[in-house]
Amino acid sequence: METLNRTLETIGKGVGGVVGKIYQAGRDTIDVVIRTVLPFIAFVGLIVGIVNGTGIGELLAQTLAPLASSLGGLLLMSVIIALPVLSPVLGPGAVIAQVIGTLLGTQFGEGNIQPQYALPALFAINPQVGCDFIPVGLSLGEAEPETVEVGVPAILFSRMITGPAAVVIAYFASFGLYA
Amino acid sequence: MLQAIETGAEYFIGIFQEGAAWFEGVVVGIVPLLIILLTGVNALIAFIGQERINRFAELAGREGWQYSFIRYLALPVVAVVALTNPMAYTLGTFVPERNKPAFYDSAVSFVHPPLGILPHVNPGELFVWLGIATGIEAAGFALTPLAVRYFLVGLVVIFMRGLVTQFIVDRMMARRDAANAATA
Repeated sequence: METLNRTLETIGKGVGGVVGKIYQAGRDTIDVVIRTVLPFIAFVGLIVGIVNGTGIGELLAQTLAPLASSLGGLLLMSVIIALPVLSPVLGPGAVIAQVIGTLLGTQFGEGNIQPQYALPALFAINPQVGCDFIPVGLSLGEAEPETVEVGVPAILFSRMITGPAAVVIAYFASFGLYA
Repeated sequence: MLQAIETGAEYFIGIFQEGAAWFEGVVVGIVPLLIILLTGVNALIAFIGQERINRFAELAGREGWQYSFIRYLALPVVAVVALTNPMAYTLGTFVPERNKPAFYDSAVSFVHPPLGILPHVNPGELFVWLGIATGIEAAGFALTPLAVRYFLVGLVVIFMRGLVTQFIVDRMMARRDAANAATA
């Protein structure tokens, strides 16, 4: 009888733990969706509305679509975004990458840009990733102040090389995609 | 006159209708799957536990170039997938001091490439991926091939980025140490 009780107790605790963790995971998820995902969708929705509803979209399409329709144009985009003066400014919340991405997305959707440029474009809009966050990110890893002093310019310079390089790698990696 | 006001009002509300149509498409088409997927992965990470992840990080933090693959490839991936943005960078604690900037560069560059497969890593910045992805979908193409290639190219890019940044950091630290030795 006692072993049975103990077994039941163990099973009960185990199941309770599992259910609790999944339930907590659901709670965390809904939190994130309501606090960050939906507000951002609303923000982008308004921008999409303004861009498409006013005709700015066509203007942007004429400038962005040719730029994103060739390897050279995408490289140019990544070089500009990776400039050490610009990259930390363009970083926060990845807002710029997300807005440019959405604008390019509408152009892909309308067929103004060939779909095989999607992969290099994903890297071309994002060479500045995390450039606004370097001191904080390094502190989270418990780096010394002297390391941060060297780390910030080192990463910013590195992006000038690795940003365009990523676009080239993505360009060659998209052979056979949507062809 | 009345006609002009009506046209103006239509133009005005049209802007918001355009945005609302886009909003509806994203909320109905993407958010439900995202919620269930996020819940699943969050639960999985809770089962694995932080201690096991820390133990792996200690292994990756050893000195020596032969651990580069762990430091700038395996550890950033585990950090980002298991701890997500921005907690991933705390694993830099286990990396030697002179490797910390390159580890951060490598890890932070991986917070978007998995978004097509594992959106839990950075749900707040989903549109870095989804902006272009919704366009590709609207053009009538499947998203999975693009999502998989984004993930794989991401692996190559973060490893390259780790090595390049390490190279630059080494140069700068050597120059700084030389300058310090000269003044001392």
